[in-house]
Amino acid sequence: MANRTSLGLAIVIMLLSAHGIYSAHEWPLKAKLFPLVIAIPLFFLAAAEALWVIFGKSPTASASDFKLSEDQPAEVARRRTLLATGWAIGFFVLILLLGFPIAVAAMVFAYLTVQGKEGWIFSVVFTAAVWFFFYGLFELLLHMHFPDGWLFGGFGGF
Amino acid sequence: MLDAFIQGLLLVLQWKAFVFMLAGIFVGFWVGLLPGLGGATTLALMLPFIYNMQPVEAFAFLLGMHSVVATTGDITSILFGVPGEATTAAIILDGHAMAKRGEAGRALGAALASSFVGALIGAAALALAIPIVRPLVLTFGSPELFMLAIVGLAFIASLSAQGARGMVRGFLAGGLGLFLAMVGQDPQAGVARYTLDTLYLWQGLDLVPVLVGLFAIPEIIDLVVRGTSIAGNAPAGRISKGVFEGVKDVFRNWWLTVRCGLIGTFIGLTPGLGGAVAQWMAYGHATQSARTAEERKGFGQGDVRGVIGPGAACNSKEGGALIPTIAFGVPGGASMAILLGGFFLLGLVPGPDMLTKHLPVTFSLVWTIVIANIITVVACFLLLNRLTALTNVQGHLLVPVVLVLVFIGSYTSNSSYADILVSLIFGALGYFMVVAGWPRAPLVLGLVLGKIAENYLYISVARYDFAWLGRPVVVVLLIIAVGVILFPAVQAWRSRRAHG
Amino acid sequence: MKWKSALAAALLPLAAAAQPTHVPSFSGKTITILVGYKPGGGYDATARMLARHLPDHLPGKPTVIVQNMPGGNSIIGANHMYNVAKPDGLTIGTFNRNLPIAQLTKVQGVKFDMLKFAWIGSAANEATILAIRADLPYKNWDELRKAKENVVIGSTGPGANTHDFPLLLKDLLGVKLKIVSGYSSSADIMLAVERKEVDGRAGSYTSLKPFIDRNLVRPIIRARSNESVIEKLPVDESFAPNPRAKAIMALRSAPEVIARPYVLPPNTPADIVKVYRDAFAATIKDPALIAESQKAQFDLEYTSGDEAVKVLKEVLSQPKDIVDEFSKYVKFGE
Repeated sequence: MANRTSLGLAIVIMLLSAHGIYSAHEWPLKAKLFPLVIAIPLFFLAAAEALWVIFGKSPTASASDFKLSEDQPAEVARRRTLLATGWAIGFFVLILLLGFPIAVAAMVFAYLTVQGKEGWIFSVVFTAAVWFFFYGLFELLLHMHFPDGWLFGGFGGF
Repeated sequence: MLDAFIQGLLLVLQWKAFVFMLAGIFVGFWVGLLPGLGGATTLALMLPFIYNMQPVEAFAFLLGMHSVVATTGDITSILFGVPGEATTAAIILDGHAMAKRGEAGRALGAALASSFVGALIGAAALALAIPIVRPLVLTFGSPELFMLAIVGLAFIASLSAQGARGMVRGFLAGGLGLFLAMVGQDPQAGVARYTLDTLYLWQGLDLVPVLVGLFAIPEIIDLVVRGTSIAGNAPAGRISKGVFEGVKDVFRNWWLTVRCGLIGTFIGLTPGLGGAVAQWMAYGHATQSARTAEERKGFGQGDVRGVIGPGAACNSKEGGALIPTIAFGVPGGASMAILLGGFFLLGLVPGPDMLTKHLPVTFSLVWTIVIANIITVVACFLLLNRLTALTNVQGHLLVPVVLVLVFIGSYTSNSSYADILVSLIFGALGYFMVVAGWPRAPLVLGLVLGKIAENYLYISVARYDFAWLGRPVVVVLLIIAVGVILFPAVQAWRSRRAHG
Repeated sequence: MKWKSALAAALLPLAAAAQPTHVPSFSGKTITILVGYKPGGGYDATARMLARHLPDHLPGKPTVIVQNMPGGNSIIGANHMYNVAKPDGLTIGTFNRNLPIAQLTKVQGVKFDMLKFAWIGSAANEATILAIRADLPYKNWDELRKAKENVVIGSTGPGANTHDFPLLLKDLLGVKLKIVSGYSSSADIMLAVERKEVDGRAGSYTSLKPFIDRNLVRPIIRARSNESVIEKLPVDESFAPNPRAKAIMALRSAPEVIARPYVLPPNTPADIVKVYRDAFAATIKDPALIAESQKAQFDLEYTSGDEAVKVLKEVLSQPKDIVDEFSKYVKFGE
């Protein structure tokens, strides 16, 4: 898994840097010098990593960074990862369609009832608490303005 | 001098100014906790209030607020793995790892104590530097700033895993960061580079949505996967107990704390490098304190030194950042520009006079930073039990709330949905990097230093041709950079010898 | 004479009562000033100051708040004002004064026509000057022109007045300047001036004033402007060797008259526009605001909407060859 992901990242970086090198060629020298100085070695480093994954043996390098927990069986972990991704993207889509104020309430409530399997009353109270915190702080106190959702004709925000 | 020192303290302790400082601290406390929403934005939002205050009160309010934002930003970073501020992301790596191990109390204790010590170091440096401040700041011209950026980039070596394979991945991450730093209109020819034909990317990638995505999203996914609270199955009683252990950790690693505090002050006083750099250099330096290969691997898994380093740096830089603002009337960043407006309201024009005629005022700023930090740290310690209890809250209650805060936090940086999109993209990138065992820190370092390196190199060459390479400070910094790059090899050799 | 004004004063309420429907009231409403930049800069500070005092001069004393929509050197904010904001008088916008240049040079992403906005006017005008270190041997413009060695000027990059103004002096008037660009802010250049890395910088007079007062730098030459304090300085255009060079310099400085532009969305009803123009004119003369703005060290001055449109028409109606020549030197930015 780690190896395949590493290969994937290396390939993405190769593509990115290749695009970077290609689109820099028409710029004036002063604008393209630094991007080229960075992108060309980056391309070869990524290629080295890719070759290393394909032909190398034991991948023992571990970053000084956090590691995902391995308490859960691989199958459960994969399903829950997709689930989390789905919630995050779903929330983003809700924000686009309904605007922040409605999306916040809808997402918190849906998450509690569907994912958390909490009861209705608790979910309503919890959602209301979160929503009033959000609304009071960002709308009333800080005057942050949130555009209406696309469903309501507000096409702003981009 | 001593006279002014005491006069400054008395200025802060006038009861009305003091009350407004408390109000400022209260606001800053919350702003720091909320992810994304930064110090500069809030300073601007609070400006309308200061018109109704007396000048001294207004300044106490603004500076009091400004001094505590970084301190409480650490709390969000440690508890939830969501950067509270752009300047408190580095502390996540080890701080949040400790929280997940059930050591939130110890991590917070260490973070608060070290940032307190850091604030004192920054304020002391500010006070001590006053006689030599002008030559000190003026020593650092563009060539020196370029070399400082190179020293910063050299820390990529320390932030990567050991061995050739680890280095390749570290430098890949760093290179990607540098490459992403090129996005936006370039200041030499005015070309819009890699903007994908969008206006959003014209001014480059915004740091806040990138950091929020890169660090928070993988943590959220992991929290869902585990299906538990953040502290997992750690017994509830243990979590808040370690606070004093954390404080003791700071004293156990006293010289590390001091060195990281000095790094922060130093980065703070060189305008142009930006606050986000200091924490990563301090973190990189903290990892160098590992004596064995095993110890080195412990970083990122919850080594308390990884908390102390950035903790000390992120507050000490505030004292340093005031120096150019005071001594030259030249603000070091958006927050400082707004504080400069506060000076004008006081009827003061910052400049050389601040170091002579208005010295008491300058010292009152030092004192405000010190006192605001004392108050905040005490308040945090009182609240610590409540705060650490959050790591025992069930994941399915936390996840939606954290998601809301993450999305709003990134949205507030440009009021654009594209901010959230950037967070999601970098969230995916961060997740895959974690899966593949690539370090994320070099990416951030590259991103914050890329533009700086490019700009100051161009300025150096345009101004001095190649004569700048012979400047003494440049040579010293070059030696330091080489030392920083070679250090991991020395570390590996030392640990091999210890074992052999 | 006296009785005339007394009569007028007596009749005024009657006149107002006769046409009550023509004065829109904002009672209980919230008005948003949309700023095309992040908090912390000059555009934002001006908007926040106006937001505090506008309510006193708008009918119905509405609440006025500031909202930031940064990005694309404020093209994003202007696009929003043009295409999304409703013309109901509840959203007013302020953005980069150089947006007319962006429209003129056909910058990608521009989705507005500056002339179709309902112009309230400008809250300030700005004068760009070039200032060089006071310890240099060149005391005035004549001496600088005759300089034999390069005078190094720091700049933030193309599109900023720190860059374009000295660039035109160098390329069109042949002054020996060397422009070093890449500083992250004008504050950074100021520090470079202090450490003698560069010899001077261009910028707005207000931002340079503290350093002129402190005798760190000396003002040398200015662009055309309405600023009265620096009238004595020579104007760059008057040294232009030919009409074309003069036109290019004039084009670069034209937007500076409308340095803090304020607009309503296109097709805003005329009565609402009038209410805002009157309110801006009154607010900027308000002693309370003047006291505050002087403390904060920036001068506000109202330029009417009609005047702003006149300037814009002049800028946007330049013949193609001038525009082409102009874009060789000046790029849209900041």
